[in-house]
Amino acid sequence: MLLHEPVQAAVWDALNHYNYRDATFLAERLCAEVSSDESLLLLATCYFRAGKPKQAYKLLQNKGYPTPELKFLYAKSCLEAGCCSEAEAVLAGNILTRPKTMDEIEIEFGNLACHVFNMLGALYSLTERTQKSVDCYRRSLKLNPLLWSSFEGLCKLGEKVDPANVFPVPNQACTNMVLQNTKLAHTVQNTPPIPITGLLSPVVDVPTSQPNVCNALFVEQNVDLLSSPEPGPLLSSQHTPDNCVGNVHDQIMGSIMLGPRPLRSVKKYKSTPQVEHNPPLNVLLGQYSPSFGILPVSTSNQGSTLAQNVTASLMTPSPAALQEKSNATKAPRKPTTRRTNQNQTLMPKPQSFNQPGNTMENNNMHTQNNPPNVRRSSRLFGHSNSSSVKENNKQQSKPRITSPRPVGGRKSKTRLSKSKQDISDVDKGEIITDIKATVPELQPQIQLAQMQQQSLAGILSLLQSLGHAYQALSEYSCRKAIDLFTSLPPHQMNTGWVLSQIGRAHFELQEYQEAEKNFKKILENEPYCIEGMEIYSTTLWHLQKEVELSSLAQKLGEIDLCSPEACCATGNCFSLQREHETAIKFFNRAIQVNNFFAYAYTLLGHEFVYTEELDNAMACFRSAIKVSPRHYNAWYGVGLIYLKQEKFCLAEINFRKALKINPQSSALLCHIGVVLHAQQKSDLALSTLDTAIATDPKNPLCKFHKATILFAKQKHKEALEELEELKRIIPKESLIYFLLGRVHKKLGNTDLALTNFSWAMDLDPKGVNNQIKESIEKRFNMEDDDALVRLSESDNGDVLPSGSNSSLMDADDMLQAVESDESL
Amino acid sequence: MATKFTASQELDVFKDEKEGLYREVGNQAVWSLSSCKAGFGVEQLRDDSYDSYWQSDGPQPHLVNIQFRRKTTIQDVCIYTDYKADESYTPNRVSIRAGSHFNDLFEVEQIELNEPIGWISVPLKDGNGRPIRTFMIQIAILSNHQNGRDTHVRRIKIRSPVNKALKFTSLECLMRSNIR
Repeated sequence: MLLHEPVQAAVWDALNHYNYRDATFLAERLCAEVSSDESLLLLATCYFRAGKPKQAYKLLQNKGYPTPELKFLYAKSCLEAGCCSEAEAVLAGNILTRPKTMDEIEIEFGNLACHVFNMLGALYSLTERTQKSVDCYRRSLKLNPLLWSSFEGLCKLGEKVDPANVFPVPNQACTNMVLQNTKLAHTVQNTPPIPITGLLSPVVDVPTSQPNVCNALFVEQNVDLLSSPEPGPLLSSQHTPDNCVGNVHDQIMGSIMLGPRPLRSVKKYKSTPQVEHNPPLNVLLGQYSPSFGILPVSTSNQGSTLAQNVTASLMTPSPAALQEKSNATKAPRKPTTRRTNQNQTLMPKPQSFNQPGNTMENNNMHTQNNPPNVRRSSRLFGHSNSSSVKENNKQQSKPRITSPRPVGGRKSKTRLSKSKQDISDVDKGEIITDIKATVPELQPQIQLAQMQQQSLAGILSLLQSLGHAYQALSEYSCRKAIDLFTSLPPHQMNTGWVLSQIGRAHFELQEYQEAEKNFKKILENEPYCIEGMEIYSTTLWHLQKEVELSSLAQKLGEIDLCSPEACCATGNCFSLQREHETAIKFFNRAIQVNNFFAYAYTLLGHEFVYTEELDNAMACFRSAIKVSPRHYNAWYGVGLIYLKQEKFCLAEINFRKALKINPQSSALLCHIGVVLHAQQKSDLALSTLDTAIATDPKNPLCKFHKATILFAKQKHKEALEELEELKRIIPKESLIYFLLGRVHKKLGNTDLALTNFSWAMDLDPKGVNNQIKESIEKRFNMEDDDALVRLSESDNGDVLPSGSNSSLMDADDMLQAVESDESL
Repeated sequence: MATKFTASQELDVFKDEKEGLYREVGNQAVWSLSSCKAGFGVEQLRDDSYDSYWQSDGPQPHLVNIQFRRKTTIQDVCIYTDYKADESYTPNRVSIRAGSHFNDLFEVEQIELNEPIGWISVPLKDGNGRPIRTFMIQIAILSNHQNGRDTHVRRIKIRSPVNKALKFTSLECLMRSNIR
């Protein structure tokens, strides 16, 4: 049945305007009147969107969930309510009911399949079925390459995915298939779903800079059409309301259009597509012509500038591409050819897009026929479109050039809540107006299609770059990741997410100053950013910046007190102040808030290590590993506990496990070296430490441990060399001088030994290492008692905060004292 | 032979904790009292407030028993008392005993307090001058000021030395010494 109830429309309207109270109320009345699947779905959606997933869950549990949409919503609310097994049973069946294969799921859920697979992937990864999880994620990406969370899930599971395959940037080669499909689309409703990759597949090594427009958008539409097993009207009835801002007529039209569900994943903000937002974006962007997400409107004036900004990565979404069959692959750049192509190929077009054709044509206001269906699209794109199209017509021979630089692409892209085909056409829609050479007979829908393709190409190429970079980071190839991230266009690079990834990359490299800089930038640009802030708090913890850390904790708490990041930051803050009990309290809170936040467990484990409650610490680290097997910090933590318990063999195993996940960590290599040495495998230890030094020449600890081992092996000269180098790198570290003193003592250079010991003591004002004093006493016990007395006296008198000058002077005094004694 | 102690309010028992030298291990132990008045028991003794206190309610000596799950190294015992507020309830002679269980205790320290106001820290050393390692500690209040019968103790802390591995002193080394 067509969706024509004003009540439903009103409910969707309320939902679209975040008026959940009214939406829920009306939906409840509607459900009472008409108990149909639609009304049930409506009510459940209201509950869910109002932030009450448990109510939705109970409702659906009560009333049942026959249709795929209901099943999907039920599964989602199960997940939110914490019943993973039920969610899984609903979506995929379990051992008790017959488990469904992926194809069955795809057929059953049709348009929703990509999201279903996404959720299944998450469910399986929570329950440690990695292979199944990987399969599901991959499937969901095949169906909808814009689902970044699936890609993220794959990376987190340690799967090697090739972003180029996953985010295929479309090229012309598939236009053939596309056109055929478009024809098919309108005739056949029940063909089996064709995954996007199939259609996009002759993507022969398309460099990202050339998203030659394939009719990708049409492709997707067709896919959606084809894959929806639902009777069209029902689909549209469900979809239209989203977009319908109360216009009944549009809904009718929507039902006619086999409303494919546009890639909903892209819809983040369900605002009615208002054009006004875009112009400012474009204006601001200045140089960069976005590759997706701009309404034609706004950019009409900037068309020329856009044209002029020919950046390397241009793709001319040649209509030629659209136009399939022929030639055109070379021609695209030349406006003339394009034009001719267009002219030629325009003919067949209108026929294939008969229905949409109508509406699309009507999109152009300048042809002022206004059947009811147009009203909607015109409302949506109205004023903007018309002017832009007009502009287009006027501008001749301007190459249509766009750079694949997205502009607030994400935001505007998300105005895609169209259900009707025509809207979905413009889906990725708000595409840049190209200053294309328009021909009077150029059909507006072709233009729109091209724009959509451009937009899609743009977002896919962006996702590809991000994918490469994120993948590198997941493998802990941090340098590569940093390079890839910084090679993004500046406006994308300066977003919170990207900066936090870069920050994290520096963090993993132990370059805490760099990491801090990046994180600071985030807070300047996006003070509301929470994701990734727990890494920032740990960075500050390492840098021991108490003030910044506590201010960060407060800020995060203001934004969202119940987020695990805020709790972790506060915990870190207290940990830095050495109030471990309180820190433990906060980390526990973080765990309570989000059971699957692995880092909270790790931090809690570290706190327990500090309070020497090693059993609790072990339990925490193991929980972290359970949540996220690739969380190498947790493996490190387990190894650390064994190290403290002197179970060196077990410690080594766990450190190596951590190293396997994160091979570039010099700190891990250091620890392995130490552990090997403790197991008397000193040569192996030394070679490990050499590897560590080679991996990260800036890490002083590798050298220090190497020197320690050399000293233990009586290779005093080499030890001395290392220590001298170290001294130059880190002049103020007391333990270096302590070790130097011991080496010199062994070598018999008593005076040098004494000098170094005194320096060591000077540099350790708080007496953290009492052993220094003890060892000085021990070492000189047999020898000159006077010297000892003088030493301890002068030490007591001379313990100053370190300044190497002063310690030098003290050393000289002491040297004289010793010499004078010995002369006696 | 008792050591004389005069408590000073300036003694900052928390400084060493902040610097990471000592750690309070009372949380890892089971606390029990020989007797207490209702509402003035272990809870009040172990909370972080100087206002709440333990009040005993039986014959002398009053005992505070602290039992650890494993043998723990004890650096010192810190007691907070307040003569001005408690007068005759303030402990006068305190004996600190250690051992494996109730029947195995031996006296480690006996201290005499003289109108104490504030914290008193009693280091517990074994024969070699090192901190003792024990399963159980018993703090016995042998007598009070002005021969009072019952006693008030406001706070007790047990501190243990932090693991004595060599620690780096400079930030650069500390930063890289562990993965967090």
